[in-house]
Amino acid sequence: MEFQASLALVAPELVLSLSGLALLLAAAWGGDKASRLISILAVAALVGAGFLAAPALCNGASGPDTLAFGGQVKVDAFAAFAKLLIYLAAAASLIVAPAFFERVKAMRAEYPVLVLFAAMGMGIMVSAADLVTLYIGLELNSLAAYVLAAFLRTDERSAEAGLKYFVLGALASGFLLYGMSLTYGFAGTTSFAGIHAALAGDMSKGALFGLVFVLSGLAFKISAAPFHMWTPDVYEGAPTPVTTFFASAPKVAAMALTMRVVVDAFGAQVQAWQQIVMIVALVSIVVGALGAIGQDNIKRLMAYSSINNVGFILIGLAAATQQGASAMLVYLAIYVAMTIGGFVAILMLKDANGEPVEQIAQIAGLSSHRKVLAVCLAMIMFSLAGIPPLFGFWGKFLVFQAAVQAGMVPLAAIGIAASVIGAFYYLKVVKVMYFDEPANVAVGKSDWAHQALLAICAIFISPLGYLLTGWLGGMADKAAAALYFVG
Amino acid sequence: MIQTLAFYIFASLVIASAVMVIMSRNPVHSVLWLIVAFFNAAGLMVLVGAEFIAMLLVIVYVGAVAVLFLFVVMMLDIDFAELRAGFVKNFPLGLAIALVLLAEMVMGLGAYKAGGMQLGTPDGTAAAAVGASNIKAIGALLYSKYLFLFESAGIILLVAMIGAIVLTHRQRGDTRGQVISRQVARRPEEATVNTQPEVGKGVQL
Amino acid sequence: MESLVVDLSQYLPILIFLVIALALSAAFVFLPMGVARLTGTHKPDAEKLSEYECGFPAFEDPRSQFDVRFYLVAILFIVFDLEAAFLFPWAVSLDMTGWPGWITMMVFLFELAIGLAYAWKKGALEWE
Repeated sequence: MEFQASLALVAPELVLSLSGLALLLAAAWGGDKASRLISILAVAALVGAGFLAAPALCNGASGPDTLAFGGQVKVDAFAAFAKLLIYLAAAASLIVAPAFFERVKAMRAEYPVLVLFAAMGMGIMVSAADLVTLYIGLELNSLAAYVLAAFLRTDERSAEAGLKYFVLGALASGFLLYGMSLTYGFAGTTSFAGIHAALAGDMSKGALFGLVFVLSGLAFKISAAPFHMWTPDVYEGAPTPVTTFFASAPKVAAMALTMRVVVDAFGAQVQAWQQIVMIVALVSIVVGALGAIGQDNIKRLMAYSSINNVGFILIGLAAATQQGASAMLVYLAIYVAMTIGGFVAILMLKDANGEPVEQIAQIAGLSSHRKVLAVCLAMIMFSLAGIPPLFGFWGKFLVFQAAVQAGMVPLAAIGIAASVIGAFYYLKVVKVMYFDEPANVAVGKSDWAHQALLAICAIFISPLGYLLTGWLGGMADKAAAALYFVG
Repeated sequence: MIQTLAFYIFASLVIASAVMVIMSRNPVHSVLWLIVAFFNAAGLMVLVGAEFIAMLLVIVYVGAVAVLFLFVVMMLDIDFAELRAGFVKNFPLGLAIALVLLAEMVMGLGAYKAGGMQLGTPDGTAAAAVGASNIKAIGALLYSKYLFLFESAGIILLVAMIGAIVLTHRQRGDTRGQVISRQVARRPEEATVNTQPEVGKGVQL
Repeated sequence: MESLVVDLSQYLPILIFLVIALALSAAFVFLPMGVARLTGTHKPDAEKLSEYECGFPAFEDPRSQFDVRFYLVAILFIVFDLEAAFLFPWAVSLDMTGWPGWITMMVFLFELAIGLAYAWKKGALEWE
C-alpha cells in the first residue's frame, strides 16, 4: 500500500517519463516531419503533469504524508509550486521552438523529448528530500541541458556553448558530489531530515566544508556570482529557444533546490549559510549590474540580467525566514514571466530575411517600425529593472521587505542601491529603441505563437499583474509554509 | 601479511602507471597505462572489501570507458609534440600547483594525525543486510529501497544515448541496411538466368 | 564493516596466479636480453638502433584520424555495458527483493530497450 501511495505522489514524473518514452519512439518513426505534432503532445504532457502536481499546492500539502519512497522524495506544496513554474517555462520553450528551428531546417523531433526529460529531472530536483535524489534529478536535468545547448550542431557558437556548459557543469557536479560526500561522512546519512538531526547543535568543521561545497555547486547551477562565468557564453551561444528554457526553468529548479537544502538539511546551521548566501547575493547583484553595462549582444545582456535577478532572489533566502521564502517564490514566478517575455521578444527580432537580430545597435529606433514589440520589450526592461508600476517591482519589494523584517537593513539598503545601477543598462536598451536613429534592421514578421506568448507575459508583468498579488501571494505562502513545516 | 604486501604492490603499481599515463609520449600508450591503473585500483578495491566496485572498475572502466578514451584519442589526431612545446613555459605554474597540492596533503595528514575528526555515525537507513555478500547487499538496497532513483538513473542513461545520437549521428545515404522482406520475396527465377551462349560469343547480362 | 562478509582468502589463488604470471612474463622478456648481452657482442650504432622496415622509410604517422562514428558506437557500448553491470547485483539479490525487484529491473530494461529501438530506427547502429 505504501508503495502505491508513493507512486501516486510521483505521478507527474511518471506522466513525464512515460510520455517522454512514447514520444521518443514517435520521434524515431515519425522523423523530423512529426516534430510539430510531438511538440504539441509534449506540451500536453506538461499540462497533464501540471494538473497532477497542482492539488498538492492548493491543499498546502506538507508533513509526513508527502514523503514518498521511504523519505527520498517529498512532494509538498513547495515542490508543487516550483513544479508548476517549471512546467510552464518548459512548455513556453517548446512553443517558441518550431518557428525558430524550422527556419534553419534544424527542428528535430528530439527537442521536445529532451525538454520533457529535463522537466522530469527538475521535478525530481525540487522534490528531493535526500542527497541521492538531489543528485539524480540534477544530472537528469543537466545532461539533457548540455545536449540542448549544442542542439544546432552545425552552428559553431552552439557547439561551443554546449561544450562550455558541459565541462563547467561537470566541474560543478564534482563540487556538489564532494560536498555531499563530506556531508554524508559527517552526518552519517543522506536524508535531509537525518542531516538536520545529526548536525543539530555544534557543527563540525568537516560538515561546514561539506555545506560550502554543496552551496558552491548549487550556486553554479543558479548562475550566481562568483560561479556565473559560463552564463553569458552559454546564453549567447545556445539557440534562443533553448536560452529561454535555461534562463527560466532550471533556474527555478536550482533555486528551489537550494532553498530545500539549506532549510531542510542545514536548517540548524542558519548562521553558517546565511553569511555565504548574503555575500553571494550581493556579489551577484553587483556583477550582474556592472557586467551588463558593456554588452552589445542582447542575449548576453539578458544573461547578466539573470545573474542580477538571482542576486535579488537570494536576498530573500538570506533573510532565512518563512516570509523570505514566500517572497522568493513570488519573485521567481514574476521572474519567469519576465524572462520568457524577454526572450520571446528577442526571438521576434528578425531582419528582412528572417535572420535573428541580436545586436543591441541593430534594434535602434525599433519603436518606429515595430511599435507593439518595442512597447513590450520596453515594459519587460522596465520590469526587470524593478521600476513601478510594473510587476517586476513587486517581487523586489517583497524580497526587500522580508530582509528588513529579518533585521537586515544594511543588506536591503545595498541591494536597493545596486538596483539603481542595474536600472542603467535596462534603460539603455529602451533609449536605443526609442530615441536612436532607426537602423531598420529588425523588420521581419513574427510567428503568431510568439506574439501570443509575448502578449500573455506582457499582460502579466503590466500593472494588471497586481490583481494577482493576493492569489500568487497566497500560493507562495502555502508553499513556504510547507517548506518550513516542522512535524 | 599477504594483504599488506598485496596492498603495497597494487598501490605502487597504481601510482607508477598513473605517472606513465602523463609521461608517455604517445597518447595511445597513455590510455593503455590508464587501463593498467584501473586494474590495480580494482585490486585495491578488492582489498578493502568492495568487490562489486572492483568488478565495476574492470567491466565499465576498463571495458568501456578506456575504449571510449582510446577512440577519442584516435579521433582527435592531436599533435603531441606541439602540446609538449608549452611544457617549459607552463612549468612554473605546474610546479606551483604541485606545491599547493603537496601542502594540502601535508596539512590533511597533520589534521588527521591531530585527531578529533568526529565522523557521523551511520543512521542505519542504508545498512547492508546482515550476512549478505557485498554485491547481494547492494542489490537488496538498489532494487527495493532505491528503486525510484534507480529507474530515474535509467532515464539518465537514456538521455545520454539520445544526446549522443542527436549530436553525432548523421543520416547517410550510402548505408546498406538489410531489408528482410526483399530477401524473402526474392524468387529463384529473378536470381538466376540460364543462357546458352554460342561459341565465341559473350553473354549479355 | 562487520556486516560486510568478504573472505579475502578466496582471492588468494588469483593473487598467486598474478604474481607467478608477472614473474614468468618478466623472465621471458628480460632473460633473453640479459643472455644476449652476456654472450654476444654489443656495439650499437645509429643504423642498428633504427627500426627495421622493408621498403620505403616511413613518411607519415601511421595513426590515422578515426571517424566520429566510432564515438557514437563507444557511447552506446558504455550505456549497455552499464546496463549489464546492473544485472549482476539484481540477479544475486532476487531472493531478497522478490517480485518488486524483478519488476524494477524489467522497467529499467524497458527504458533502455526503447533507447535501443530508437537508436536502431535512427540508423545509429548501421555502418556502411
